Amino acid sequence: MGKLYNFKRSLWVFHASGGSCNACDIEIVAALTPRYDVERFGIKLVGSPRHADVLLVTGAIPRDFADKLRRIYEQMPDPKAVVVIGNCGTSGGVFYDSYNIAGPIDEIIPVDVYVPGCPPRPEAIIDGVVKAWLKIEKLEKQLEGKKE
Amino acid sequence: MSLTLTSPSGFWNPLLWLAFLILFTLIGYIIYSKGNPSYKKDTEQVKPYLSGNIEPSKEKIQVKAGDIYWGFVEALKDYYKVLKAMHTGDLRDYILWYLGIGAIIIFILIGGV
Repeated sequence: MGKLYNFKRSLWVFHASGGSCNACDIEIVAALTPRYDVERFGIKLVGSPRHADVLLVTGAIPRDFADKLRRIYEQMPDPKAVVVIGNCGTSGGVFYDSYNIAGPIDEIIPVDVYVPGCPPRPEAIIDGVVKAWLKIEKLEKQLEGKKE
Repeated sequence: MSLTLTSPSGFWNPLLWLAFLILFTLIGYIIYSKGNPSYKKDTEQVKPYLSGNIEPSKEKIQVKAGDIYWGFVEALKDYYKVLKAMHTGDLRDYILWYLGIGAIIIFILIGGV
């Protein structure tokens, strides 16, 4: 049997909320709590980006938070993926082009998965995280390939 | 020659300790080698997470011994302001103060006679 390069660990997720109205955050909590219980798949919310594989970002990002979000992203180890939850983070939503908004999240950090909705359902969030998982597996394979 | 030292509380053998040392070094190295080698030095990845904020300098966040007296110094700041102005760091000034105050005390003690 050949060597497996796939991402073999549990997926740890860090949640950064930048100016969210809390609806997307509540849906993330709904995905974690017993009804959906994503921890049974190994998807775990962690308290530091330094331990995380996936960054969940919610909300339209205010200008003051943009550099902090950049720093949070840079603190994550490789391979990593970013999932944007909700319309505000995806396009700016109702805050589009507002004077105090730094813009959609993909203008601040690279985004891998978009989960639109206001707010998106937990099923959609789980689907988004699974897509990020697939992306990380690909990146892991690339990193392993570089090592050899 | 016996290398084992027996005492009422147990025994000590240098060869046994050496074997343990080698074993624990090996275990330590295995744990070290399992670490993530892809982290990037001199980037944000090696800095502590402070909710995305910049890490302040150590001098700014350390509690200094002088901070214990902050309330005292703050309450008497007008008094210390005068003292600081007088505090020149020149030894000759202090001797002058010493002699001056000493002269006043002697003058008071002898009743100004």
